[in-house]
Amino acid sequence: MNNRTWMSRGLAGTAVMMLGLTLAGCGGGSSDASSRPENELHVTVYGDASNKVEEAMVAKFNETSDVKVVLDTIPGADYQTKLQTIIDTDSAPDVFFNWGGGSIANFVKADLLLPLDDFIEEDPQLKDAFLPSVFETAEIDGKSYGIPMRGTQPVMLFNNSEVLKQAGIDAPPATWDELLDAVEKLKAAGVTPIALGGADQWPTQMWFQYVFDRVAGEGLFQAALDGDTEVWDSEESREALGKLRELIDAGAFGTNFDSVKFTDGGSPTLLSSGRAGFELMGSWAYATHLDANPEFAENVLGYSEFPEIEGGKGDPHNLAGNTNNFYSVHKDTRYPEEAAEFLKLMYSDEFVQEQIAIGNLPTTTNTVEFLDQASNPEYAKYQFDLVKDAPHFQLSWDQAYPPEARVTIHTAVSQFFSGKIDEDGFIKAMQGL
Amino acid sequence: MTTLATRRQAGPGGSTASHPARSGTSSVGRPGFAWALPATIFFALFALVPLAAVAVLSFTSWSGLGDPEFVGLENWETLIADPVMLQSLWLSLLFIVLGVVTQTPLSILLGVWAAGHQRNRAVLSAIYFIPLLLSSAAISVLWRALLDPNFGLPGQLPWLFGDGNLLGTQAGAIGVLIFVGMWQFTPFHTLIYQGAAKGIPTVLYQAASIDGAGMVRQFFSITLPQLRNTAITSIILMVVGGLTTFETVLILTDGGPGTDTTITAFYMYQEAFQSFDFGVGSAIALVLVVVATLISLVVVKVSGYDKMNSSLEGL
Repeated sequence: MNNRTWMSRGLAGTAVMMLGLTLAGCGGGSSDASSRPENELHVTVYGDASNKVEEAMVAKFNETSDVKVVLDTIPGADYQTKLQTIIDTDSAPDVFFNWGGGSIANFVKADLLLPLDDFIEEDPQLKDAFLPSVFETAEIDGKSYGIPMRGTQPVMLFNNSEVLKQAGIDAPPATWDELLDAVEKLKAAGVTPIALGGADQWPTQMWFQYVFDRVAGEGLFQAALDGDTEVWDSEESREALGKLRELIDAGAFGTNFDSVKFTDGGSPTLLSSGRAGFELMGSWAYATHLDANPEFAENVLGYSEFPEIEGGKGDPHNLAGNTNNFYSVHKDTRYPEEAAEFLKLMYSDEFVQEQIAIGNLPTTTNTVEFLDQASNPEYAKYQFDLVKDAPHFQLSWDQAYPPEARVTIHTAVSQFFSGKIDEDGFIKAMQGL
Repeated sequence: MTTLATRRQAGPGGSTASHPARSGTSSVGRPGFAWALPATIFFALFALVPLAAVAVLSFTSWSGLGDPEFVGLENWETLIADPVMLQSLWLSLLFIVLGVVTQTPLSILLGVWAAGHQRNRAVLSAIYFIPLLLSSAAISVLWRALLDPNFGLPGQLPWLFGDGNLLGTQAGAIGVLIFVGMWQFTPFHTLIYQGAAKGIPTVLYQAASIDGAGMVRQFFSITLPQLRNTAITSIILMVVGGLTTFETVLILTDGGPGTDTTITAFYMYQEAFQSFDFGVGSAIALVLVVVATLISLVVVKVSGYDKMNSSLEGL
C-alpha cells in the first residue's frame, strides 16, 4: 500500500473524526404538539443533589394526574449545552430548569417559550407567592417566562472570624475604606487578605458585579445589557474599575490567585485553614464548608453584606448572584394545563419545607414560616432577609447576558485582575459584547 | 445438507494441504475492493460526511436553535481578524514543537534501555508505563491538585516554585501543560521505541564491537539510524496528539490565564459549545483539518518516509 496515501488519509481521518463530533446531534427544525409523547409531560432539570425533592414533587403530582410527569436529569456541567441542542427538536422538554435572564433570552427570541401570563391570570399566586426581586429575573419584554424553583443564592462576603480577631478587626467591613483597612491589617498579620479562586474566573466576576453596582447603581449594567455599550466608558465605570485596581494593587488577593480554584476546594480551604481572612462567594459556600469542615462552618465562618462604597449611587443593600432557578414551559407542549398545575406545586408548603431541609432557600412568601427547620436557621434567616429587603438583585453578569457572552466576560475580568489589560482594555472588551 | 457441509469443509482444506505453496502466492496480489468496504463505509460515515457538513456549517450562523442561516464569508472574516485565533495557531504550533522536543529524546533513551536485558528492567518498565493506563481527565485532575499553589507541591517547595502561581502566568501554564503531556505520553512512545529497538538485528552490534565501537558510538551509529522510521511514526503521532490536545487544557487551565493557553482545538470547543456559535466553531475546525494535513504532508516529504520500504536498511 502506498505509504503517503494512508498516512495523510489516516491523519486527516483522525483530525476530522475529532472535529466531526462537533456535528453529532445536529438536527433542528420545528416541532408541534402532535409529535410529542402522549400522556407524558417531560420535565428536565439540572442533575445534582436537589433532584430528590424534584422526584418527590413529581411522585406527588403523578398520584392525581392522568398525564404523568417524567423527570429527566442532565448532569450539571453539560446542562446548558444539552438543553440548547434539544430545545428546538421533537425531544425538547415540556418544562425545564434554567437561570432566567440570559439563559432563556435566546429561546424567547427564537419563539420557543410559552409566556406564563395566562397561567398567572388564572392563578395569581403563581406570581404573588414569590419575592418580586427574584421573579423579575425571568421576565423578558414585559412577559413572564419562568416560575422560581429551588433556592436563591446571593453572593456574600464570607470571613474567618478567628483570623479577623487575631488581626485586630472587630467587625466585618461595612464600607470600602474599612475593607481596605482590613486588608492592611491582614497583610500585617501575614495572611492573604482575600481568598479568590481566580482560575475559575466567575469568582473574579463577583467583585465586578458588586463594585459596579455600589459605585454606579444597577442602571449601568442594565443599560449595557439593553445595548448601550457607551456606559462602559462612563465616568462611573472608570471609577469602579479604579476601585478594583486599588484593591488589587493593595495586595488584597495575594499574587497567586489565578492558580487557585473554588471548585476544587482551593480557595475555601484557604479561608477555613486560616490562611485568608475573607472570600466573596455565593451562599452555597456555607454548604461547601459544612461538607468539608463542619466545625469551621458552624463556629468560625462569618458572613456579611458587600461593603458600601462612599459616594456611590448604588443602594448598599443591593445584592448580586444567582437570584434563583426557574421552570420555563416550551411553547409546543402538548399539555399546558397540566404544566400549569405542576408549576403550582412550586409555592406549596410541602415543596418549600423539602427545599429548606436539603439546604436550599426558596423565595416564596411562605418560606419565612419554615426557616426554623433549616439546618442553620440563623444563616437561613439572614439570607432570606437580605433577599427580601434588597431593592435590586443583580443576576450574575455571565447569566444576565446570553451564553455566547460568557467567555468574553470571563476573559476580560480575569485579564483585568492579572494586570494583562487595563481600564481601557476592559472597557473595549465589554463594549464588544 | 450434511453432505454439502462436509464437501465444503473438505474442499479448501484439502487443496491447501495438497498445495501449500498456492495459498502463499495468492495473497500477494492486490486484495479485492470488498475488503476495503467496511473501513471505507466507516471512514465515510464518521469522517467524510461530518467534514462536508462542517464545511457547509462554516458558511452559516447557527446557535443550535432554528435552522442554520447562510452568511457567506462572515465567519471567515471574523476569524481572520480575530487575534485569539491567530494566537491559538501559534500556541498549537508551540505545543507541538515543545512536545516533540521534550518527549522524543526521553522516549528514545527509555525505549532503548527498556529493550535491553538489564536486571530490574521489567519491573521498572512496568512502573514507567503506569501513566499510559490513566485517562487524560484523571491525569489532569491529579496534576491540578498536585500543583495547587497553597496545598500542593509549590506550597511545600517555595524555593523552587516561588509564590506557586504556575497556572496564573502564560509561561508557567504552558510549562505545566508541556510537562503533563510529557508525563502522560512518554510511556507510549517509549513502548514504540522499545519494540523497534528490540527488532534491530544483533549482528549489527556484533560487527560494530569487532570494529571496536563502544556503547555510545553503537547508539549513534546503529541504534538511532535504525530507529528512523519509528521516530517518524512517533513524531507524527505526537503532532496529531498536539493538535488535538483538549482535555488537559480544559481541566488544567481552561484556556487561561485569560486566553494564554487557548490552543486551536480548545478554541473550537469554546466557540461551538460554550458560545454556541457553531458557524465560527466549524470554521476553526476546517482550519485545523487544513493545518493537520499540511503538517503531515511536510513531515512525510521532509523525512523521506514515502520512499522508505524497510527499516532494515544496510542489511
